[in-house]
This record gives sequence, C-alpha cells and structure tokens, in this order.
Amino acid sequence: MAQVQLKNVVKKYGALGVVHGVNLDIAEGEFVVLVGPSGCGKSTTLRMVAGLEDITGGDIVIGDRVVNDLPPRERNLAMVFQNYALYPHMTVRENLGFSLKIAKKSQPEIDRAVDEAANILSLTPLLDRKPGALSGGQRQRVAMGRAIVRQPEVFLFDEPLSNLDAKLRTQMRVEIKKLHQRVGSTVIYVTHDQIEAMTLADRIVIMRDGHIVQVGTPLQVFENPVNTFVATFIGSPPMNLLDGTVQAGQVVLADGTTIPLPPGLHIADGRRVQFGVRADNIMPEGHALPPTAHMAFVDMAVTLTEPLGTETLLYATLAGTEIQAKMLNPRPVSPGETMRFGVALDKCHIFDADTGLNLRG
Amino acid sequence: MASATQHRIKKRALKTAHFLGLFLAMSLICIPGLWVVLNSFRPTIEIMAKPPVWMPQSLSLDHYRAMFGGAGEGGIPVMTYFRNSLIISITSTVIALLVGMAGGYAFARYSFKAKGMMFVALMASRAVPGVALSLPLFIIFGRTGIIDTHFGLILVYVAMNVPFTIWLIDGFFRQVPKELAEAAEIDGCTRWQAFWKVEFPVARSGIASAGIFAFLTSWNEYALASQLTRSTTSKTMPVGLLDFTSQFTLNWGGMCALAVLMIIPALLLTFVVQKHLIAGLTFGGVKG
Amino acid sequence: MFRAKLPPWLVLLLPAFIIILAVVAIPLILSLYSSFTPYHLTRPDTLWKWTGSFNYIKAASDANFWKAFGRTVLLLTIALNTEMLLGLGLALMVSKVTRGQRALRTAMMFPMMFSPILVGFQFKFIFNDNVGLVNNALQSLGLTDVAIPWLVDGNLAMFAIIFAEVWTSTSVFAILILAGLFAIPQDPLEAAKVDGCTPWQSFRFVTLPFLMPFIYIAMAIRSLDVARAYDIVQVMTNGGPARRTELLWTLIGRTGYVDARMGYANAMGYIAILMSIGFTIYFFLKLQTARRELGMGEM
Repeated sequence: MAQVQLKNVVKKYGALGVVHGVNLDIAEGEFVVLVGPSGCGKSTTLRMVAGLEDITGGDIVIGDRVVNDLPPRERNLAMVFQNYALYPHMTVRENLGFSLKIAKKSQPEIDRAVDEAANILSLTPLLDRKPGALSGGQRQRVAMGRAIVRQPEVFLFDEPLSNLDAKLRTQMRVEIKKLHQRVGSTVIYVTHDQIEAMTLADRIVIMRDGHIVQVGTPLQVFENPVNTFVATFIGSPPMNLLDGTVQAGQVVLADGTTIPLPPGLHIADGRRVQFGVRADNIMPEGHALPPTAHMAFVDMAVTLTEPLGTETLLYATLAGTEIQAKMLNPRPVSPGETMRFGVALDKCHIFDADTGLNLRG
Repeated sequence: MASATQHRIKKRALKTAHFLGLFLAMSLICIPGLWVVLNSFRPTIEIMAKPPVWMPQSLSLDHYRAMFGGAGEGGIPVMTYFRNSLIISITSTVIALLVGMAGGYAFARYSFKAKGMMFVALMASRAVPGVALSLPLFIIFGRTGIIDTHFGLILVYVAMNVPFTIWLIDGFFRQVPKELAEAAEIDGCTRWQAFWKVEFPVARSGIASAGIFAFLTSWNEYALASQLTRSTTSKTMPVGLLDFTSQFTLNWGGMCALAVLMIIPALLLTFVVQKHLIAGLTFGGVKG
Repeated sequence: MFRAKLPPWLVLLLPAFIIILAVVAIPLILSLYSSFTPYHLTRPDTLWKWTGSFNYIKAASDANFWKAFGRTVLLLTIALNTEMLLGLGLALMVSKVTRGQRALRTAMMFPMMFSPILVGFQFKFIFNDNVGLVNNALQSLGLTDVAIPWLVDGNLAMFAIIFAEVWTSTSVFAILILAGLFAIPQDPLEAAKVDGCTPWQSFRFVTLPFLMPFIYIAMAIRSLDVARAYDIVQVMTNGGPARRTELLWTLIGRTGYVDARMGYANAMGYIAILMSIGFTIYFFLKLQTARRELGMGEM
C-alpha cells in the first residue's frame, strides 16, 4: 500500500499536449476514479503512473519514491486492462502465476497465491482452461486475479468493465468494490462511465482536455458541480440547462417565462446565465414534490414518457429547450398533456453563460 | 543521477549496435544482387581482371547490345525467351488464380467431410520436388507430344501454383464475413452475383498477392522447365541462362545482363503490390 | 441432372483436383510403377520388366545414396534453422526502425525475386576461387594471399551452398516474422511489463509464443519448396567435386537424365518425395497446434 502523488505532470507527443500539468494526491488505500469523455487524457495519466508512457514533465511519486524514470516492473503495481490482456498461450493458472514466476518465487508459494486468488474470484474450476475458452466476464475475473496475486502497492484499472454487457458490469462493479474493501490497496481506476465513477469512488477526478476539472467525493461533485461540463457529465439523466438573463432576482427565459434565482444568490441584472436543474428537482405537482420551502412552478407540455417502474421520466419543452423531469408514484401520462411542475430552487444552479462556471462559487 | 547517466550510455550503445547490425544485414542482402547489376555494365576483361578492378573504369551497354542484337551470329535469342517466359507465366498465373479462387472459396465457405485431410493432401502435392516430378513428366509429355510446348509448361505451372493459391485465397475469404454475402443475397443478388459484387472485391488484395506468388514461381522456375523445354519454341529465361555457359567457359557479363532482364519485371511487380504481398502471407497463414 | 447432384464444394474443387491429378498424381503413379522396373530411357522395353523392390534394395545398400540423404537432411536442418534465426533477428531490428522502414522492408524482399538458378550462378561467380568477389575482397584486404577454393573443398562448398540458400530464403522468414511482430496485440506486452518482466523476459514469454505461428507458416511455406535448393546446388557444384556436395536431388537428376537409369532414379525420387511431404505435413500440424494455442481459430 502506498500513496501516489502526481506533481504538475505533463505529457506531450511532439508539439501536441495531451496532459497539461495534472496535480493529484492520492492517499494510501484510497479508491480514486479518473473519469471524463474519451480523449480527456485520463488513460494517458494512468499509463504514466504505470510507467507505460514516458512523462514529459513533472514528477510521479509512489510511496516515497520518485518513479519518473523507473520501468514498470520496478514500480510494484498491478494493472487491469480494458481488453484484459491475458496471455492467450497460457492457462488461467499460468496467467495468474506469471508475475510471481517472473519474480522467481517458489512453486509452493505461487500455487498458494494462485489458489487464494482463484478462490476469491471463484475461478477455481477454470484454472486449467486457456483464455480462448472463457467468456468475457470470466476473462475479466482472470485479469483481476492476475492483479490480486501480486499484492501490489497500487492497483490500476483501465476501463476494465467497458467490454462487458450491462448486467455483468453491475455485477463486476460490486466485486471490485468488495475486493477493495478486502485488500485495502490504493486504487486508480479509469472509466468514461460516470455511474461506475459514482458507485466505486472514494474520490472522483473529472478530467477534460488534459486538465483536471474537479476533484471531490461522488456527492460533492454531484451536488456542487464547478461548471456546466461537470453538471452534465455527472448524474443521469444529465442536468437540464436553460438559457436566460437575470432580471430583478429572476431568470428570464427565451419565451419570457421567469424562474426565481436560487436562495442566497445575488447576481447583477442583465447577466446572461444558464439555469441548471436536475430531473430529480423538477417534478409534476401532486406526485411527491421534493420537500423544500423554495419552490417555483412552471407549466410545461409533456412530449414523451419513459416509464421506469417506480418512476417515470417525462420529456417536456420549456422555452424551446427539452427538459427531463421525474415523476414519482407515476400515473399514465399521454403526450401533449400540459402539467404543472415544481422546481426545488435550493437544489438548482446558476452558471455563467460564457465561462460555464457555477456562480455559487 | 548516476543511474540516469548509465541508462543513457547504455541506450546509446544499443542504438549504435542496432544501426551497425542493420547496416551489415542490409549490405549482405543487397550487395550480391547489386554486384550482378554492376557487372552487366562492365566489359568482360574488367570482370575477369586479376588483380581485381574495384572502381569500374568504364561502363557500357555492350552486353545488352550483344544480348538483344546477336541472334544471328551464334547469339542467344533472348527476346524469344523473354516472350516465352511472359506468355507462360501470365497464362499459368491467370488460370491458377481462377482455379485457386474456386478451390479457396470451397474451403472457406463450405464444410465437408475430410476437409482437413484434403487440404493437407493438396499442400503435400506441392511439396513433391520438381526433379522427382520431372522424370515421369518427361516420359508422359514425350509420349503425348506436349513436351517443348507452351501448353505443357503452363499445365505444369498451374498445378504447381494451385495449392498455394488455394491456401492464400482461402485465408482471405475467411476474412470476409459470411453475413456480407448473405446481406447481398437478401438485397436481391444471386449467389453468383453476391460473390462477384461483394466477396470478390473485399478479398481482392489477397487474390492479388496469390497472383504475385504464382507469377514469381512460374517466372523463376528451373528444375521442370529445364527438362520439359528443348528448343527456342518454349525455353524460358531461367533455362536460357544456361546458354551463356559452355563446357569450360562462362560468359559472366552476358549472363548478368540476362539476369537483370529477368529481375526487372519481378521487381516492378513486387514493388507495386508489396503491401498486399505481406498481408497475403499473413492473413492466409495465421487467420486461415 | 448429373451436375445438380454434385455438392457445390466439389464442383468448385474439381478443376484443382483434375489438374493436380493430371500433373502430379498420375506421373507419381507412373514413377512409382517404374521404380519397380529397371526402366532405362534408351531402352523403352525395359519398362515392362518387373523387378520388384530391386531398385529400393539397391538404393538402401548404396553408400552414395545414404551419404546424399544424410547431407540433404543436414543441409535442410542447418539452412532452415539459420534462416529462422537470422530472419528473427532481422525482423526485430527492422521493427525497431522508425524512419525509412518501408524502404528497408522493400530492400529485404530483394532476394525473394531472384530465380534460384540465378542465385546459383550469382554465388558460383561470387565464390569463384579466381575472380570471385569473396576472394578478391579477402585478398585486397590482405586477409589472405591464397585463392581459397570455396567451391572445390567439400566443407567450404557446403558452406557456400548454405550461404546462397540462406541468402535467398531468410527474407521469407524475416517478412513473416515482421508481420507477426506488427500483429502482436500491445496489451499483453504491457501487462508483462507491469507484471515485472525485463525486456528479455517479455520477449521470451510473450513475444516469442505469439511469433511461433508465424515462424511455422514460414517453415510450412519453405517446406513446400525446399527442393528449390536443387537449382542452386546444381549450378554451383552439381553435387561435385567428386560427390562432396551430392544431395538427393542432384543424385536423382544425374541418375535419371545423365545415366538414363529412370527406374532407379524414380525409386530414389520416391524417397525424396516422402521426405518432402513429411516435412510439409509436420510443419502444417505444428502450425495448427500453435494457432490453436493462441486461439486463432481452426483451420
């Protein structure tokens, strides 16, 4: 177990910058998820920690060693790859034991470690098969087992679940979380799936275009997104954003509809902003409105419904923008029906229209 | 810091060794061939000089002039050989490709009993050494009167090339998803149209590479041609090379000129489809 | 009506089978038959005289035959292994080149375009003891002042032949192994790095197993055509001097065409054929196993 520090880490391919000065402190035993759209530099950052990419500038510290120039084999970490990266010519047992064999461990020791890992991941009946004869989920487990066997200081995961189907992904997510609770190693996990990030992370690091946009616990980034990018990236469905102008403590939308500013915010008249509200905070009247004193109401025509069982997702149009809203204790709604929606203002955000920054600060 | 410097020195040493090794290997690969080209431009006296002349004193086209112009005075009918080679190689390549496409398609798309056995048997037929085959062929061709004809040699080369052609093309058709042809059939093609309009274009580069191999084999083959051709009506260039030798002497310069004439078409062809060549070998073999 | 009954795969394979039957199978049956007769090219009636296994017994008790046989196997073993190792080395070096790699690859294929007979002449010329490139170079550099009899001394002649053979065929290995190197998925290699492998261990445990199918393809391709070496040897030494470089194929060729003893030549030819086919089948089976191990699909 070890802490990991990234100090102003830069990666350039020739003139093209991919990672621009990333600073990050990861505590011992912490589960950190790097999340962002493809091309944001998250995988490159992970691979620099692994030592698979040279770093162009800055320092990477694992434990108390600067590892900038160390080859991967001297960094004592384990990595789970997106495509599993199993050795196709070796059996599951050989795959699991490979790193220990390379480290010249004794055969009984290897066997013990392999059996234990196989046990944890219920791979025991598959030990003598080759990767070619395994299903996707089984391969994924072997890849994880290979990482466990090493008992590394740091685990690196590079989009490990993106090749699995939805059901398996949920299942493996739970297994990864359990695994972390059991072994307690430091984990750096890269994904583009914000649900994975929310459910797994102690802390989420949101990246875009080679920069860190926000770092925080899942709830922090969900409740206090620093800008519209984080607001729409984290949470499902994404936060609704409505263009408007501030006028006397109210946001005036394109069609003249007005919504009061959230409590405690004072913004000069005439400023162009975006009003952000999540589907959970805009709900039709009469269906378990969120408990708050700061409620505003708007009328909208429903265009489409998505019944999900315990709730129904309503699509409606407000001032020319499509809005998603949630209806708890749902009743059938026919498209075209106009409903009155309550907006929980204290959960809403105002972003600057030009910079996208959250004006709550 | 010390280890970083050491690292750098080691890196530079490796780089130098890599460069030197590559340079040496490439020299060994290129020099024997280039030497032949060079000698085709040098007068015989200079080639045979003792002590050797390292810096060519005079370059001339004499050997080429003699080669193309000397047919009357005991010279060698090089142009006839060239034409024979061209006719035989191209015809046999085209036929081998047609036969190989049919066979390769059968192996790639249909399953039938003893498929693996049949495939290995086909390959084994290619492994029969030319010399061993030339003895009975010599007798049969002599009896049927197709010895010393273009037809006889074309037939032999088709048979030689078909197994390898089938192997390569089979591999390429396997790369073409079956669904592609099925989609075409649903879109209203007959099976035959589906093949020509969809599967064939996709597998084209594999077929091209099979074609190159077939052509090079026919173009360069000697063991069978030397027994099955007798006169200028069918002699190919590899056999023609021997015309430059007599009991005790060898006309090196003239031979080198003919050699260059032999290499040029092969070289041009290979350069044009270089990429397909490698792809052909790989796909055909590994994934097939 | 008849056509409709044939399964489509058979219709498609029929042309191939007919041609191979005509050019390979029937002649082989004829040569098998004639190997049981004392058939002499100049006396056609000898074809009808059955002597049973006489020719085979004669071959089996002929010291020259066994020497040629042993030499052929030795030549093939040395040549194929050398080609494989050099091809591997060359491919590894070329794969590390970043600029001008295309040009290198093209140059690498140069020897493949040479007719074997031409290679024979070329190296006969290069190893010529009087005016050859090798001796000229050695003498000019002052390394030796005698003319080394490359093609006259038995061992040197074998060396020269193997050199020529390796020169033409190493590129087949190099190109295929290079293709293999490019086809290796990067993930397992990176996993190996993280798992603690040194560069050598990565090569040994990950790269090499991946390359094996490619090496076997090259071997299989080469085994289809090992007898190409015949052309080279025939030109360079024709089995001489005094049979010191005699290979099965030169022995067969001379017995059949020069001595006109077709029956005996065919008997020896059959042994050469079986050896070649054995090589081919062996490498194809190896290729299949290697492929299956890597899960690259069945044949």
